[in-house]
Amino acid sequence: MKKIVLLYILINNLFSVIIYAQKKIEPNDTDIAQAVKLKEKFDEKDNVAIIKSTENVTFNFNKKTEKVVVNHKIEEDLINLDERADIQKYYFYDGQSKILTFNILYKNKKRTGFRIEDEAFTSQGLFHNDSRVKYVNIDFPLKGYKYKSILKERITDIKYFTKLYFNDEYPIENKKITIVIPNWLNLELKEINFKGYDIKKQITTNPKQNSKTYTFTLEDIPAKSKEESAPGPTYIYPHLLILPKSYTNNTKENILFKETKDLYNWYQSLVKELKNENEPFKNTVLDLTKNAKTDVEKIKNIYYWVQDNIRYIAFEDGIAGFKPDEAVNVFQKKYGDCKGMANLTKQMLIEAGFDSRLVWIGTKRIAYDYSTPNLSVDNHMICAVIINGEITFLDATEKYNPFGEYAHRIQGKEALIENGNDFILKKVPELNYEFNKEIINYTLKLEGEELTGSATRNYGGERRTELLYTISNIKKDKKDKSLKKYLSRDNTNITVSNIKTSDLNNRESSLELNYSLTIKNAVSIFDKELYINLDFDKEFSSHNFKKRKLDYIFSSKKKIISTTVLSVPETYKILELPKNIALHTDNYDLEVTFTKNENRIIYKKKFKIKKAIIKKIDFESWNTFNNDLVKLYNEQITLIKK
Amino acid sequence: MKYKLLIALLFFIAIITAQNKKEQEIKDYFWGSNDAFKNANEIPEKWKNESAVIIYKNINYSYNKFGKKVTYKTSFRKRIKLLDKNAVEEFSKFSFRKKFKSNRGDYSYWQKKGKVFFAIKIIKEDGKEIEIDVDKEAIKEEDDYKIAISNLEVNDIIDYYYYNYEPFKSHDEYTFEAEERTLSDVYPIMDFKLYLESENDFFINFKSLNGAPQLKKVPSQKRNLRKYELLASDIPKNNFPIWFYPLAEVPSLKFQVYFARSGKFENRTIAFLSEEEKIIKSNVSKEDVLALYNGRFRPYGHLGDVIKYFKTQNFKTDEEKVIAAYYYMRHYYLTRFVEAFIVSDAKIMEPFMLYGATPVFIKNKKQFIKHFTAFLKDYKIDYEIVIGTKRYNGNIKDLLIEENVEVLVKIKTKNPLYAQFFGPHTNINQISPLLHGTDIYLLTTNERHKIKGVKKGVLPNSDYKKNVSNKEINLELNTEFSGFSVDTHNNLTGYCKISDQSDRLLFHDYVYEDYEKYGTKKLIDLIRKKKRKAKVEKEFNAVTSKIKKNQKKELEKQVKNEFKLNNIKDYKHTLINTGRYGLDAKFEYDESFTFKDQYIKKAGANYIIEIGRFIGGQIEIEDEKRQRNVGIYMTYPRTFNYHIKLKIPNGYTVSGIDKLIKNVANNTGAFISNAKLENGILDITTSKQYKHNYEPKENWKLMLLFLDEANQFKNEKILLKKIL
Repeated sequence: MKKIVLLYILINNLFSVIIYAQKKIEPNDTDIAQAVKLKEKFDEKDNVAIIKSTENVTFNFNKKTEKVVVNHKIEEDLINLDERADIQKYYFYDGQSKILTFNILYKNKKRTGFRIEDEAFTSQGLFHNDSRVKYVNIDFPLKGYKYKSILKERITDIKYFTKLYFNDEYPIENKKITIVIPNWLNLELKEINFKGYDIKKQITTNPKQNSKTYTFTLEDIPAKSKEESAPGPTYIYPHLLILPKSYTNNTKENILFKETKDLYNWYQSLVKELKNENEPFKNTVLDLTKNAKTDVEKIKNIYYWVQDNIRYIAFEDGIAGFKPDEAVNVFQKKYGDCKGMANLTKQMLIEAGFDSRLVWIGTKRIAYDYSTPNLSVDNHMICAVIINGEITFLDATEKYNPFGEYAHRIQGKEALIENGNDFILKKVPELNYEFNKEIINYTLKLEGEELTGSATRNYGGERRTELLYTISNIKKDKKDKSLKKYLSRDNTNITVSNIKTSDLNNRESSLELNYSLTIKNAVSIFDKELYINLDFDKEFSSHNFKKRKLDYIFSSKKKIISTTVLSVPETYKILELPKNIALHTDNYDLEVTFTKNENRIIYKKKFKIKKAIIKKIDFESWNTFNNDLVKLYNEQITLIKK
Repeated sequence: MKYKLLIALLFFIAIITAQNKKEQEIKDYFWGSNDAFKNANEIPEKWKNESAVIIYKNINYSYNKFGKKVTYKTSFRKRIKLLDKNAVEEFSKFSFRKKFKSNRGDYSYWQKKGKVFFAIKIIKEDGKEIEIDVDKEAIKEEDDYKIAISNLEVNDIIDYYYYNYEPFKSHDEYTFEAEERTLSDVYPIMDFKLYLESENDFFINFKSLNGAPQLKKVPSQKRNLRKYELLASDIPKNNFPIWFYPLAEVPSLKFQVYFARSGKFENRTIAFLSEEEKIIKSNVSKEDVLALYNGRFRPYGHLGDVIKYFKTQNFKTDEEKVIAAYYYMRHYYLTRFVEAFIVSDAKIMEPFMLYGATPVFIKNKKQFIKHFTAFLKDYKIDYEIVIGTKRYNGNIKDLLIEENVEVLVKIKTKNPLYAQFFGPHTNINQISPLLHGTDIYLLTTNERHKIKGVKKGVLPNSDYKKNVSNKEINLELNTEFSGFSVDTHNNLTGYCKISDQSDRLLFHDYVYEDYEKYGTKKLIDLIRKKKRKAKVEKEFNAVTSKIKKNQKKELEKQVKNEFKLNNIKDYKHTLINTGRYGLDAKFEYDESFTFKDQYIKKAGANYIIEIGRFIGGQIEIEDEKRQRNVGIYMTYPRTFNYHIKLKIPNGYTVSGIDKLIKNVANNTGAFISNAKLENGILDITTSKQYKHNYEPKENWKLMLLFLDEANQFKNEKILLKKIL
């Protein structure tokens, strides 16, 4: 009996503890009011907010590895803004970093016991890398429910610690970044995109610790945008770019990335480790060049061979993320990443007697250039060949890319070109929108209630390259069907036949597709009147930016000239044509016209997107035009029986 | 110490040597001197335009045992000619596991690990063979290895095998997973071989279907080892059209293997076993069905709750009793716990103890049969047990695998009733559409409700006039003539309502309906402690609110998809009737929304309205699919009715009504539409009917007639002409 009583007391006490603990973790009225206030303040789609986020960064020197180590701590107070939220909190790490602590606490600071999972994580587009992720599933059962997330990580070498953002996946009410820089470390904190944000900065000197503390605070930071086709994060979010210049150890200054040359030297040190034994591909180079009449022809043969024969498969494990694979490995494996392909192109060209170099470059997604030496400046490697002092860039990852043409993603970007102990900085030329010209011609006539005729589609530049690549990857037995589907715009009312294409292996001339077509249900006859829908492509109809917050980025500059000529039977006269519309700005020209010419209607669309971007500032005029364009696409041409 | 180290080292070397020996043995088996396909590099002219051609596909199964210890080995080899970049890409990366712990048989921490032997070679166009060094090139990622294939180009042949060695122990009987597959693959196959070997205590069920070659015995040197093979060649690639069940028509095979050490285990194995191991079971007779299930469906279940409920009711007929019992059980053994599952999933509390120490929760179809027949026995109502198989498995005469058996109860009331294992919205007399019209076996019972015999039978089919989806759409143009406001009233009956019920009914829509009907308590009312109750209630309300919000988003997506709309606004969904008590009961709901810039086109002062679009997406059959040489297998006969009312704006007349009147009807189905203008309303009715769930291939042309007509209706337009 005594035992039962004791057990009863124990159970009762335990239950009281649970109730007491629950009282401490359940949201009170203040928490709920806070959640309501934050919900009003931030985007209505945000389900969780961070009330307070503090990031602390300190540095120490590891004598064993002789590296500057980064200690990074993030503490976040999370609150639920909805009735209930279920989220995943995660942090990535890799061979250069280690997560020491990752905890989720209740608001009473007690540990939640949520299970932290740890998995390998392969970034999109890669075959294998050394990234891993630690994550935890967190449920917020009520509005105002709070948790604290604590992360401590160590980056074993300062050069891999490249930037600190203020924005997060969730909106933040108060953000504080504290960086303690010891006096033995020469490190610049470059403030990027601070303009327009009320970021408060404070620097305090700590004489005892021989260091300086930099504190940055910012309030009411919206969550990172999920909008697609947006500029890269380095363009739009305020952040600190970490530029570690040097450190002093035993009075000796050791250079990190003090200037661009130091970054180049490090890259070059990795390249110097390559053996470059080119013997296995000597014969291939010989075969590719022996019948070529000019140097350019030789280069093209090699460049196109790499494009066509080397598949893009990327391994980014440890130093392999920065060091190119041996050219001979890539040649024998027939696959490689951008670095491997660049190096193979370079070595094959050298084998053929050309001056060829490796080139480091950041794609357009990265806002930086080499004036801020840091490992996040670039994310790509290409090759350059120098003929008579002229540099031409070669990017073998761009399949079907002709010699001398450059993908939009690298146009205008600063390239760091190998040059022995030195380097050359040169921008990849920007190509004009004319270069990507698409010309579409429909010649149609009325046959009963159908439109019949022929069409030609001519693609230049990047559109041609993209289409040739897509076609080359379709299964052989499905190619005809896929091409028909593409040309009929996936519209079962359009029947396509007699397709004739230009050489689908020729990447240098424009791609031309000629075909016959019959269109059902484009003509409606009511009594004596006949209504025709003459648009089958409806370019830009879905590009309305009414709700959009960020600039819109196209994959390339565009020039589309589409002409539809409709022959009207003599028994009909043209009653009404839709009104012409146009919009001309520095960034784009958009124009749609209808003209009558005897018994023909000429429907012409001219679209020029000159810089591949629609700026937010232009959204209003763009949207007005877009509304008119959509209306016009919905308008009909009216004919009446004579 | 040195001695110990030496022993360990020798042991390690012995393991490595054994491993290498095994590896070499496997390699010899596939690629050794007896490999008949070693030099098979050519493909027939007729397949030159394919993406890839499988020169040889070989699948092997081996079952060995020593007492309780089982060694299960499976392997396959493919030798494939890659004819384009797509195929090169397809075979350029592989992932595999080198070692694994079997989850078969008895669990043991000390269990021997399974091993995988994976090898790849490439045969270049000039005949040069290059074997990939898998150990060197594969990268470990968690428990898996990944490999990117080197030097792979168009016109190469890739030849690879995957050998799985899996030892495990089984004290009891063990059933291996069933294999059911067509002989054909995504690429055409030149030669195919399936090889199977087994020792005593392994029972094999194997059947070749639809003209596939037979499994043949091959000579074996060992008395207790039996060997079999199936050879096939010249197999075209898969080309499955819409509405098709491949296993019903395409050359296929089915098999399953069972391990049973003695008669005791044989009896316990739930399978149609042959009399002895050396006989391959390829046909399951109705007597086999009786032998397996006789004794396995004894009426059994605690019926106290049903009896208590029945005391409060007054039934006139057995039919009424059966119907009432079905719906009561659906609630008491299923929907009563739905709230608990939500609470448990949301980690709000551990709720199941609230329902008493041992609440009855019916988990599977066999438990249901036992429980329901226990009720029938108690109330002295005669029944038979239906043994059927889903239509995609082929006919019941081709039954081989016990997992393919579907079981339900046929109640021999004046008008026979069928009862199938319930879901939250199923009804009495609701049979899975995949069983409609199929041949079945009926296990008959004697007066004491024991199974006494078996006979053949057929399950009823359903009627397209009873499986109906009715949609009333009221359309009004907005003031700018740029879009519409849409109000719909939907009612669905028969099998047409099933998927809509599952999409549109949230737990609170039906659980509270059931609580009220049966006087049972909500989960929250089962919690006694006030504070706890308040906490759970708050969190439960929060999770409910989240579920409701998510559902609204999903329904908005559905309506956009139904009418192919880019954007909608002001979406509202109102449930009118759950339709959960009777197959013919109407499931009703209303929806409303607005949209712009679609289905209205300006034509000078006039407007063209794409009115046909309001019957939703229609099936469009491409040219190459218009010829058909296989049967047409649909879900169930059904009718889709639309009643569209468009308010004609003042100052406009309507033209084009005549084009909205269509009538194509034949034995397979129909599309019938009518339209009239009455009191300023354009009133359109359409009816699309699929009269059967199966049509022979010859009827495809007849089906195309009404499918095309419905698709043409979708394209029809009317003109709103301004009165000048």
